[in-house]
Amino acid sequence: MAAIPKEKPSRIDEARAQFARYKADVKARGKPFYPYAMFHDTIMSLVVVCVIIGLAAMWKWSAWGPGHDPTHKGLLGPEVDPPADPGTTSFVPRPDWYFYFLFYLLRIFKWPESVFLGTIGVPTIALILLIGLPFLDRRRERRLSARPVAMVAAVLTVLSMAVLTWKGATANEALASEVIADVPHWVQVENLPSNALPGAKLFATAGCTACHTYAGAGGSNLGAPDLTDIGTRNLGIDFQIRHLQCPSCVNPGSPMPHFASLGNERLHQLAVFLEASKGAH
Amino acid sequence: MATTYRRTPTKAELRRQRMEELVNYPLDWLEERSGLVGGVRYFLFRNVPSDVNWMQTLGSAALTAFLVQAITGVILAMYYTPSASTDPATGKPVAWESIVNITDHVTMGWLVRGMHKWGASVFIILMFLHMGRVFLFGAYKYPRELNWIVGVLILVMGMMEGFTGYLLPWDQTAYWASVVGINLNGTAPFLGPWLAQFLRGGQEIGGETLTRFYSLHMLVIPAAIIGLITLHLYLVIRLGVTSPPWSKEAAGMEPEEEEPVTARPGLTRPVPRTAGGTAMQAEPGGRD
Ligand code: HEC
Ligand code: HEM
Repeated sequence: MAAIPKEKPSRIDEARAQFARYKADVKARGKPFYPYAMFHDTIMSLVVVCVIIGLAAMWKWSAWGPGHDPTHKGLLGPEVDPPADPGTTSFVPRPDWYFYFLFYLLRIFKWPESVFLGTIGVPTIALILLIGLPFLDRRRERRLSARPVAMVAAVLTVLSMAVLTWKGATANEALASEVIADVPHWVQVENLPSNALPGAKLFATAGCTACHTYAGAGGSNLGAPDLTDIGTRNLGIDFQIRHLQCPSCVNPGSPMPHFASLGNERLHQLAVFLEASKGAH
Repeated sequence: MATTYRRTPTKAELRRQRMEELVNYPLDWLEERSGLVGGVRYFLFRNVPSDVNWMQTLGSAALTAFLVQAITGVILAMYYTPSASTDPATGKPVAWESIVNITDHVTMGWLVRGMHKWGASVFIILMFLHMGRVFLFGAYKYPRELNWIVGVLILVMGMMEGFTGYLLPWDQTAYWASVVGINLNGTAPFLGPWLAQFLRGGQEIGGETLTRFYSLHMLVIPAAIIGLITLHLYLVIRLGVTSPPWSKEAAGMEPEEEEPVTARPGLTRPVPRTAGGTAMQAEPGGRD
């Protein structure tokens, strides 16, 4: 079959010609996969298996501490943390390290209206760009020096992922033991009545400060509002309790976890504390 | 594989010949009925570009890490109990206890669990490095676009595998990371709340969530990954791997850029620049 001669070959024709050249070149002067490439693959795979065994061994030998406490922390963390407890008092939401960048992205978009951007928006756009890459960059050119845009984009992507991961790793989680030390300070600046004290202690220990800031303490996450002067909004004890039991039932779409497991008495204490928080003076 | 002899074969030669036939018999049997031997032979002895680079071992390294996860995962599944209910004897959740049991009491359990735990990170790192290599080489371009997309899907599945596996020890970190993660899904428009509800298996994160995550982690996602890896490798073998873009003898390079063709005796150039379309018709699907 004779091809109809064209003035200038189209992009796809050129790409096809190049691939046919590639096939011919590989056939004429390539080398067989076995043993050449396979030899390198095997060595690399052995290295991978050794690294994995090495990490497992390091984890074991440094974590198995005195008295064989499974929660003792070694170089690479403990064997296991204490059992899950929904009515917990120390809430440290930490994903595995390869989600740190997402985790930190959430802290950048702190305003409630924009949380959606951090949680779903930016990752979705990034994923679409990644999948679409072969269709965005359709040139045949593969040499690095002739692909400046791709190279700059790559460096920026790697840098921002590294920075986000690093910031996520070092982000200060508000630990219950540290936050509870702030309670007397809260009583002072907020002029809290004594019946708000049990609620204040609960607030410091139940993990609320992992997402909410209060009188300068805690860290903001997931777009949770500052609660320093939540009482000035006079939402009412009933509302507070219902919200804590099921945040998304009263504020649709709320990402705040349910705290129904704290029990009615403690929820009431929390509500009293929240309503008494009229702002720092 | 009968050998022909110019003279009458000696006894020893005949015995040797019979031995060879005996050894080859199962392979010939298999080949005649499946063509698998030919397939493996094609896989092993197909040519790859002569200038492949160490960076091109990252894909098979990721495959090795995945196999480590699969093997250690199967062993863990023999001892792990995905139950959030409390053991009346100790007051601790059953899943958490089974993890402690695997690590402290099962023979070599610490090694199997340690390899699975750390292998997960190694797998993710290798996938990212491999993707970086493919990007650097521009190997996502025609005709390998589809394989890039398959790769991105594997990457996403791999991270979902990490997310679902993280909950299984049922400890504090695991539990609260999943609370936050599931609530994040819940913020997505339309499908979000539904997805969060599905993952939780109810209003609160509890036993239902754990069994759901377990089934996703050990059945659904691995099956998807295995399917995708198979497709990925099929495409790699069919299309071949790319030469490093900086290589002086990169396969498929523009004729103008090369040294004179005469410098490489035996090199055939069946495809003049303007006749690309024809060449592809002569070689359907680009198979060699
Ligand atoms: C995982 C993060 C997170 C944790 C932990 C958390 N919250 Fe929230 N909280 C949010 C977010 C996000 C909002 C905004 C959406 C909403 O109103 O539900 C919010 C809103 C609130 C509001 C304002 C409700 C309104 O209608 O304006 C109050 C009060 C509140 N939280 C109290 C608490 C208390 C008390 C705790 C601890 C028991 C707590 N939160 C723990 C994320 C969190
Ligand atoms: C489980 C994870 C993966 C496995 C086991 C795997 C395996 C492989 C193998 C063995 C190769 C052969 C060449 C090489 O090793 O470099 C390859 C090539 C390739 N991979 Fe992957 N891969 C994985 C993930 C990915 C990801 C995340 C991407 C990108 C998004 C990707 C895109 C590609 C492409 C485009 C090629 C062709 C490269 C070329 O022609 O030079 N793969 N893969």
